[in-house]
Amino acid sequence: MRTLRDAFSFGDLPLVERIGFAIFIMFCTLFPWVTKGSFDQAVMIQFLIFCLYGLGWNLIGGYGGQVALGQAKNVGMSAYTVALLMVWWDIPFWLSTPLGVVVATIESFVLGYFLFRLRGHYFAIATIAVSLVWQQLFINWDLIGGARGVELPLKETPNFLYMQFASPIYYHYFAFLLVLAAILYMNWFRKSRLGYQLRSITSNEEVAESLGINAHWVKVKAYCITGVFAGMGGAFYTVYYNYIDPFSVMHLELSVMIALMTMIGGAGSMWGPIIGAMILIPLDRYLGAWLGGSGIIGVDFMIYALMVMIISAYEPKGIWGIIEKVRARR
Amino acid sequence: MGTKKERVHPDCVKAAIVAAAIVAVLSMGFGMARAQGQEVKIGVIYPLSGPVAHAGNMSKDAVSLCADYVNNKWPDLPIPIGNWEGIPGLNGAKIKLIFADHRGEPDRGADLAKKLIIDEKVVGICGCYHSSVTKTVSTVCERHKIPMINPESTSPVLTKRGYQWFFRATPHDRIFVRDFFEFLGLLHQGKVPGVKAVPKSELRTIGACTENTEWGAGTRDVIKEFAKQYGYEIVSDVTYPHESPDLTAEVRRLLAPKPDILMFASYISDAILLTKTMKEFKAKAKVFWSQDVGFYQPKYIETFGNDTEGILNRTVFSKKLFAVKPVAKNINVEFKKRSGVDFMGTSARAFTGMQAWAYVLNEAGSTDPEAIRKTAETIEIPGKDLIVPWKGIKFEDVGGETNQNTWSSGLIVQYQAQEPEIIYPLDVATAKFVYPWPGLK
Repeated sequence: MRTLRDAFSFGDLPLVERIGFAIFIMFCTLFPWVTKGSFDQAVMIQFLIFCLYGLGWNLIGGYGGQVALGQAKNVGMSAYTVALLMVWWDIPFWLSTPLGVVVATIESFVLGYFLFRLRGHYFAIATIAVSLVWQQLFINWDLIGGARGVELPLKETPNFLYMQFASPIYYHYFAFLLVLAAILYMNWFRKSRLGYQLRSITSNEEVAESLGINAHWVKVKAYCITGVFAGMGGAFYTVYYNYIDPFSVMHLELSVMIALMTMIGGAGSMWGPIIGAMILIPLDRYLGAWLGGSGIIGVDFMIYALMVMIISAYEPKGIWGIIEKVRARR
Repeated sequence: MGTKKERVHPDCVKAAIVAAAIVAVLSMGFGMARAQGQEVKIGVIYPLSGPVAHAGNMSKDAVSLCADYVNNKWPDLPIPIGNWEGIPGLNGAKIKLIFADHRGEPDRGADLAKKLIIDEKVVGICGCYHSSVTKTVSTVCERHKIPMINPESTSPVLTKRGYQWFFRATPHDRIFVRDFFEFLGLLHQGKVPGVKAVPKSELRTIGACTENTEWGAGTRDVIKEFAKQYGYEIVSDVTYPHESPDLTAEVRRLLAPKPDILMFASYISDAILLTKTMKEFKAKAKVFWSQDVGFYQPKYIETFGNDTEGILNRTVFSKKLFAVKPVAKNINVEFKKRSGVDFMGTSARAFTGMQAWAYVLNEAGSTDPEAIRKTAETIEIPGKDLIVPWKGIKFEDVGGETNQNTWSSGLIVQYQAQEPEIIYPLDVATAKFVYPWPGLK
């Protein structure tokens, strides 16, 4: 009961944050009804998928202060589990997804158990290395499709069992519900024992350990939760695009994008990943769509990079850092 | 449940209402309908930026040229579209191409396909070069029941999915690789002009080097299958990461067992890096064959000049066809004027794909997707109207494939003095075969 109360209670947040959250909910709820543009809806769904990834990464990368750059492998593990269960044994989405999430979580646990013996740059490099190894394994593993990836068989739509719809509205609300659940979880998390332990480790690991906190174990637990978020996102990605390959769901670029987005928004803050996704995803997709086909090749990349550089140079704590500064001045 | 009930300040309520209104107005702005005129919109999705932008932009130029031929009168063009001013079957409606850049990303391709189909209201889709992107885009088309004509993606799987709205004009990798092994058979029999019969013991081992995306993996599978079927031994089987910054280890592994035949499937940036690395190793073999794409682009010839001598490519187009296909020569002049390069395999197929679209729309006499699909299923476009040396275009369901152009066929060309001479099929060969491959010095 207390857990539920903590998850649903935003009372401790400043009023402006609560209003911001209300606007976010309203925006996501109304979006499919006020926009007719399918591309806008596709961008919105991408935004929600990245919110989910970012909220998960924020746990270990933001609150935990660990630069884990391999979240794509968890996305891929779950995506592949879901896709293969659906293709090989025709197992519906609702059964294959929990299994996909479990696989991603177990991988996080095993890996985290060993990798958290490393610190700082060594840890970051190790996560990248493991992620690349997994990607290469998947590329060369013919049994699971190798580089050709896995394509889900098309079903008559709408099909709730296999999550196949012609209209994006179903995907939108499902992704939105996942993000809402993730936000509620994060709201609980920041007030939980684990949340406090993780932040104390980020502040000073030695002091935290002297207080009886098992830093290694806490980091492993947080890493597993990150795996759950990535796993959910990967499962959703699979049914949304109907096709996965190791380049789409296990690429280092995806891991970097998740981390970058969270850092731009403000790592370690509740809303940082959402703000980061809100800026980077539409920027990337709309610039690509508007300028990519117009013959002005490469300008979209330049604008995108410039935005990232300006934000990073002006406020290393991200957009949320700027908001905090403005609030502190008042 | 809360610790203390708070009263929300009226200013906050006002602020929330204003914010919601702004959000609603902005959202509506995103989805504003676009006006349609007397034109038929076709969505064209290619990689216009990124490492294979060169191929994507050549394809863009090719489909644009074809649309120009359809939309305006070109009295000197000796094929039906030269006399058209718009599509006759649609009362002269002009083709309007809407381009989108997928950057080689399947998910971006799928999102753009939705944009083109739902927001831009295109009657169909053309593209997408990468087989992996063609996969997701064709799935979107299938779901939305919108026809897609694919000019150049060669992964065999694409037409084995039973999709009713997907039509492939090009031959696929199975056909191309089989052609090469049949050519080797002719070489053993001494039927290839310019070369005495080559005993099988002299040409027995294969070194295969393929990039690791959908297309490369598909080619590798087919090479393995046919090597076994035709009695060759694969002594090195190397796959490498697409867009790799260094391929030294891969080249070393490829060349170490000294294979008689080298077979490649690479995109342009990889093809250039591979050749540079092989040049450092002074690579030698008896036959060097590649799956078009990277090794058969103007940029490749520009980069390596005389080092391209003797390299074989599978393709569907060569400048040497001009002698037997004056229409190809005629169109190539205009293409070169606009894009600065001659037609190559990819651009020639892009042109042909758009031409197929024009013929289908003309014969359908309607922009109704179902009418277009039914027409595409039955249309027969004669080879004399095309710039590629095919019997024509006829989409059929054969051998477990759906809507594959069964009238398409491949060529094997060999660079001789930087010109792609046709070597196979033998009846259209324009030069004697240079054997063995001189190697890279």
